[in-house]
Amino acid sequence: MKKWQVAVVMVLATLGSWFAFASTAQAKTYTIATDTTFAPFEFQAKGGKYKGIDIDILNAIAKKENINYKLKAISFGAAVQQLSANQVDGVIAGMNITPERKQTFDFSDAYYTSGVVMAVAKGSSVKNFKDLKGKTVALKTGTAGATYAKSIQSKYGFKIKYFNDSNNMYNDVKVGNSAACFEDYPVMSYGIKNGIALKIVSKQYEAGDYGFAVKKGKNAELLAKFDAGLKAIKADGQYKKIVDKYLHSSESSLTGETASSRTFIGLFTQNLDTIGSGLWMTLVLTVVSIVLATILGMILGVLGVMPGKLGPAISSTIIYIFRGMPLMVLAFFIYIGFPDLIGHGFKIPAFVAGMITLMLNEGAYTGAFVKGGFQAVDDGQMEAARSLGLPYWTAMRKVIMPQGIRIMIPSFINQFIITLKDTSILSVIGIVELTQTGTLIIARNFEGFKIWLMIAIIYLIIITLLTWLSNWVQRRMN
Amino acid sequence: MAKVIVKDLHKSYGDNEVLKGLNLEVEDNEVVCMIGPSGSGKSTFLRCLNDLEVPTQGQIVISGYDLSDKGTNINLVRENIGMVFQHFNLFPHLSVMQNITLAPVQLNKESKETADVTAHALLKTVGLADKADAMPNSLSGGQQQRVAIARALAMKPKIMLFDEPTSALDPEMVGDVLDVMKKLAADGMTMIVVTHEMGFAKEVADRVVFMSDGLIQESGKPEDVFDHPKSPRLQDFLDKVINV
Ligand SMILES: Nc1ncnc2c1ncn2[C@@H]1O[C@H](COP(=O)(O)OP(=O)(O)O)[C@@H](O)[C@H]1O
Ligand SMILES: [Mg+2]
Repeated sequence: MKKWQVAVVMVLATLGSWFAFASTAQAKTYTIATDTTFAPFEFQAKGGKYKGIDIDILNAIAKKENINYKLKAISFGAAVQQLSANQVDGVIAGMNITPERKQTFDFSDAYYTSGVVMAVAKGSSVKNFKDLKGKTVALKTGTAGATYAKSIQSKYGFKIKYFNDSNNMYNDVKVGNSAACFEDYPVMSYGIKNGIALKIVSKQYEAGDYGFAVKKGKNAELLAKFDAGLKAIKADGQYKKIVDKYLHSSESSLTGETASSRTFIGLFTQNLDTIGSGLWMTLVLTVVSIVLATILGMILGVLGVMPGKLGPAISSTIIYIFRGMPLMVLAFFIYIGFPDLIGHGFKIPAFVAGMITLMLNEGAYTGAFVKGGFQAVDDGQMEAARSLGLPYWTAMRKVIMPQGIRIMIPSFINQFIITLKDTSILSVIGIVELTQTGTLIIARNFEGFKIWLMIAIIYLIIITLLTWLSNWVQRRMN
Repeated sequence: MAKVIVKDLHKSYGDNEVLKGLNLEVEDNEVVCMIGPSGSGKSTFLRCLNDLEVPTQGQIVISGYDLSDKGTNINLVRENIGMVFQHFNLFPHLSVMQNITLAPVQLNKESKETADVTAHALLKTVGLADKADAMPNSLSGGQQQRVAIARALAMKPKIMLFDEPTSALDPEMVGDVLDVMKKLAADGMTMIVVTHEMGFAKEVADRVVFMSDGLIQESGKPEDVFDHPKSPRLQDFLDKVINV
């Protein structure tokens, strides 16, 4: 075998073993999903560890009942989807017990009761629901607040705008794009106490119960243990301690950040670990995806210029499908849709799903310009090579490819940069890369401007370095 | 047996029949020059001879290989046929030396070392001994075409096909290329040359073939074809070429 063939086989074997591991994950450890941003129920503390009422309750119950579990922080919407697709065993994420959800999930006993409130910007003149007429209301998808607001929308005549993330929702209200938002009372009051410039202007509506959820008919044992454990921690006072701790103390005491660390530099040094690991994930994902996408793209490009009809047909179909599909849809499809289709508890780790997503999408784009690059090589080159007696593949390798690749270099550089940026979209399936890191940090310190500026600068720096590197390679080749 | 046997060769592109039943035999060591108006199918004919185009109908036998036979290894046949193109088609990413040695080394005809020695000898023959390390783009058209001839010769072909090898060259370059071809002919190479260089045809060709409208209209010794053309088409063609 040639060197490149060995490389392809190795990549395939690695992928294969990943799948194998994924589908035979240990039976005894439950995977429990939670939201990324729902303080005080769950939020990331300094150093990347999760904290919050949900997290501590789960932990206390698990200790009492000897439950082995792995926590997985993803967006609330993704958590719910993954539970119904059997990708996780349970969800604890300030999730309201509703009749509708009971169709798909089994719930534990209620572990917390809270109502929905309306919050507006500090200086806002909006005082009640009537003032919302014609204005926009910010909601977070899948929450009780969203359901409640939707139910009164036609009565009060406001417009609705959805967010996946609480902080983005608050911010939209703060800067005045939206007139108000609807949020669970404890979450809102916790946020305000910790510096969000909003105020609560309504009483609590639609008081609802939070429950721990499993997929209907599954994990009955886990559910029973949760209920038993909940009773036990309520009885011995642990429960009250946990709730009091989060509802009656300030952010900094919980996250370990001091007020003096709120300068740009302070925030940066405080969060260096978290940002560093996010950056590392972004880089690993980028490099692995670029390598895989380049291999796929070369294969598609070569197929695309092959004599006969079959190769070009396969190539353009694959390019058509994966170039046409939005990256986010593809990511969800591979991470949630595909295992659902296979069934039997088949799981794909988020990192592998993200890698495959990028490989297919960036590979399709790469395939298109690789094909174009090969086509741009004068036909006479292939004829001259063949007339010397060189077989097709030798002519391709020795004559067409070296010339085609030279033509493609600017496109490759461009594609590398796009791949790097596209990794940020994979935060939707819970990969904690650089962008997701930003979301997580802001979820606990609400320093939107400074943190996003920091993240943006880091992206620019890497892209600059990548461009330099590519230009250097390009000069070397010419 | 003749080196090249072509029987009833037809080639169509869609509805356009370009070759309409060509017959030709070329003997060992023979030099055949092909003349004829542009668009008459000369290039198509040459390209059929090494399977760059697949005939619609007819038979081609080269050095005993029947091209229409599915069992024939076309790469093997092509090793025996050198082809020189109007636009040289040198590989721009490879040096002159690498252009020449690529095929012999890739096809295991010669080791890298012997191929280098052969290439140097060939470059000397075509008068470019000092250009071994040059890149094709730094050479003049005439020099590039001579490298292209050396490249074809490196495979030690038994037949050489030339498709208007000098028509893309500045006039002052033409002589050098023709000189190389004359040397080849003198050394006994079997050659089919499509050309507009009537002087060259008169001097070197054993036979001149006049093609028009996808058919060989007339063929014979150069002095017969040029001095006593029989068909009105050939007379017409010669008038035009000579009056230019
Ligand atoms: N690949 C092709 N597809 C379609 N028509 C072609 C192709 N190659 C050549 N032809 C046509 O065949 C005819 C003969 O072309 P050619 O053999 O190049 O003539 P010549 O070399 O004598 O000038 C022309 O009319 C040309 O348009
Ligand atoms: Mg021609």
